[in-house]
Amino acid sequence: MTSYDYYSIAYGALATVSLSLISIVLGVPLGLGLALVRWSRLPVFNQLTIAYVSIVRTCPTVTLALLIFYALPVVGISMEPVSAGILTLTLSTAAFNTEIWRNALVNFPQDQYDAALSFGMNRNLRFRRIILPHISRTSLPALVSEMTLQVKSTPAVAIIGIVEITRAAIRVGARTYEPLPPFIFALVLYSLIVLAFVKTQRAVERRFAPPGDH
Amino acid sequence: MTDDQTTMSQLAVQQRPVILEVSGLSKSFGANPVLRDISLKIHKAETVCLLGPSGSGKSTLLRCMNWLEQPDGGTVFLAGQPLGARPGGGLRMRDKELAAMRTRIGMVFQHFALWPHMSVLQNVMEAPVHVLKQTKDEARATAVSLLQRVGLAGKMDSFPARLSGGQKQRVAIARALAMKPEVILFDEPTSSLDPELVGEVLAVMQDLVREGMTMVVVTHEMGFARDVASRVVFMDGGHIVESGPPDQFFEAPQTERARQFLMRYAARNN
Amino acid sequence: MNEFALVWEHRDMILIGFQNTLLIVVLGTVGSLVLGVLLTIPLMSRRRGPALIGTIYVDAMRCVPFLLFAYLLYFALPSLGLDFDNWWTGVVALILYNGAYMAELFRGAWANLPKELIEAGQAYGFTGWVLLRRIILPPVIFAAIPLVGNQLIQIVKDSAFLTIIAVAELTHEATSLQTTYFVPFASFLAVVFLYWLTCLSIESTVGYANRLAEVRR
Repeated sequence: MTSYDYYSIAYGALATVSLSLISIVLGVPLGLGLALVRWSRLPVFNQLTIAYVSIVRTCPTVTLALLIFYALPVVGISMEPVSAGILTLTLSTAAFNTEIWRNALVNFPQDQYDAALSFGMNRNLRFRRIILPHISRTSLPALVSEMTLQVKSTPAVAIIGIVEITRAAIRVGARTYEPLPPFIFALVLYSLIVLAFVKTQRAVERRFAPPGDH
Repeated sequence: MTDDQTTMSQLAVQQRPVILEVSGLSKSFGANPVLRDISLKIHKAETVCLLGPSGSGKSTLLRCMNWLEQPDGGTVFLAGQPLGARPGGGLRMRDKELAAMRTRIGMVFQHFALWPHMSVLQNVMEAPVHVLKQTKDEARATAVSLLQRVGLAGKMDSFPARLSGGQKQRVAIARALAMKPEVILFDEPTSSLDPELVGEVLAVMQDLVREGMTMVVVTHEMGFARDVASRVVFMDGGHIVESGPPDQFFEAPQTERARQFLMRYAARNN
Repeated sequence: MNEFALVWEHRDMILIGFQNTLLIVVLGTVGSLVLGVLLTIPLMSRRRGPALIGTIYVDAMRCVPFLLFAYLLYFALPSLGLDFDNWWTGVVALILYNGAYMAELFRGAWANLPKELIEAGQAYGFTGWVLLRRIILPPVIFAAIPLVGNQLIQIVKDSAFLTIIAVAELTHEATSLQTTYFVPFASFLAVVFLYWLTCLSIESTVGYANRLAEVRR
């Protein structure tokens, strides 16, 4: 392997991480929005969200990527692989984030909500000043844990031709006729990235553990 | 106090304006009626203690008074204005109007309900700044003086999790006072406190009574009701069974149910 | 609609893929549960050597994306002289990978087990393997059931990655159907639906097992 090969795999890793991060940045607020739809029981939208979460949560990321990349053009929406990849990853992580946010909303202490009501706060104020700060804290550990899983499932978008870490390694392997070294390098590199997330996750869990949980 | 004097002071109270009036209130949880046709007037500067066994409907009545709980029938009036809205009923009030009326009714909760992500000072300033649109300086000045008054000036920057139960409840009272409410509802304010912390909260409440605050208090503290209440309302099974000055209620209860309740209470505390 | 008719006509392809997926998932489940239990023992061991090796293995698996791991085995097993075909390589990858996650779930459940329970076993003279099998593992497994359920869904989802190393599972068959007849919409929608059904049946089975376990917790 030449230094260029190492570089190209590292570059692939960077692409993977960027895709993960973009989908996380989009998927966390999207999940919150959908959780609010479920919480407010908006008719029709509520049922649609339930269906979306149920199906996407159980759908392999590879399959979802294929569906979005190959099937959406049939209904007139065609996308570049990168956009399709981002859409896939965002939809997939948002489904899990919806459940996390919803769980936090459902468990929001009723008396704190009552207190906000009794001080005459309107819906917007109640959400922005009282509920959101609270559920952000309680959801954080689960959100970070989902982020870790998300980073691990990102290589799935290799199937629609995005040159991320897996494809980069395959290319190097194909050229050098030695597939093993590029994969070992890719694995080590990627493990370090995930390890960073896992460490963050553990730190967040310790920091935000509910009192009396130990 | 002699009976005559009691009657006299009762008369004096009744000449004061009515702050909160509940009329014909009923409420069921499923098939289970918890309030049956309750009517009650709270006059200015009165301290009304709602007593009764658990499940008698006193907390539900209190929560109906600021519409945290929607009654199935009947009306609540704040200074003569009807409050709340009922789907299908005659009365409809927009959320905004309801919110505006709620700012005039303070509430203190059994489990404090402080907002845990805000410091003590922020808890007290939150609603004055964001609901009443006071300036931060104004709200801070009020909050600081109120916290001094409840003896917590030193804890302003602490977060609720760092306070004892008694301290939390005193903050909650300061938070309610910051809205300059016309009446404060207390929902079992000392029930979740360790016994040694009950006194500090009751002392603050006693101060409020002395200053002429209008208060409705759901409580199990018989001593407080006896010493401080201007009127005791005894509830059982969703009815108001008995209502009168505390001396009369504790010395000579009019009904068998009230006698039983007081006896059971005395037995438990001996 | 034409598309769906074509897929229905060639449903045997999809069904072969579905069969393969189910078989892979069943083998992966059984294998990773067994491996998980076996790995839990060194993880909870008081001796440092086995505990360290167990922890390194579990942590390594938790840091690696499944796809890269499957690829690694695909290329590495032959050079170790193990001549598995793609199908078995996929199964082995699923087991080695998810076994580590199962072990971590069991370890968590074990760590939360009340000490008295184990001490009571010891007080009645249980030791070693019998203590483990009769006293410790049953409550550990009962406690871990809901999380194991989540991991089973993960096994189903991971199995789709095996299409990339050309295992003839569900997603793979859908892809070949779509490239042959150009029916992307119907074929991928059909397999998404089948994955959904699979996971729903897993969830209801796990839910049932959980209710049974509830009275034993």
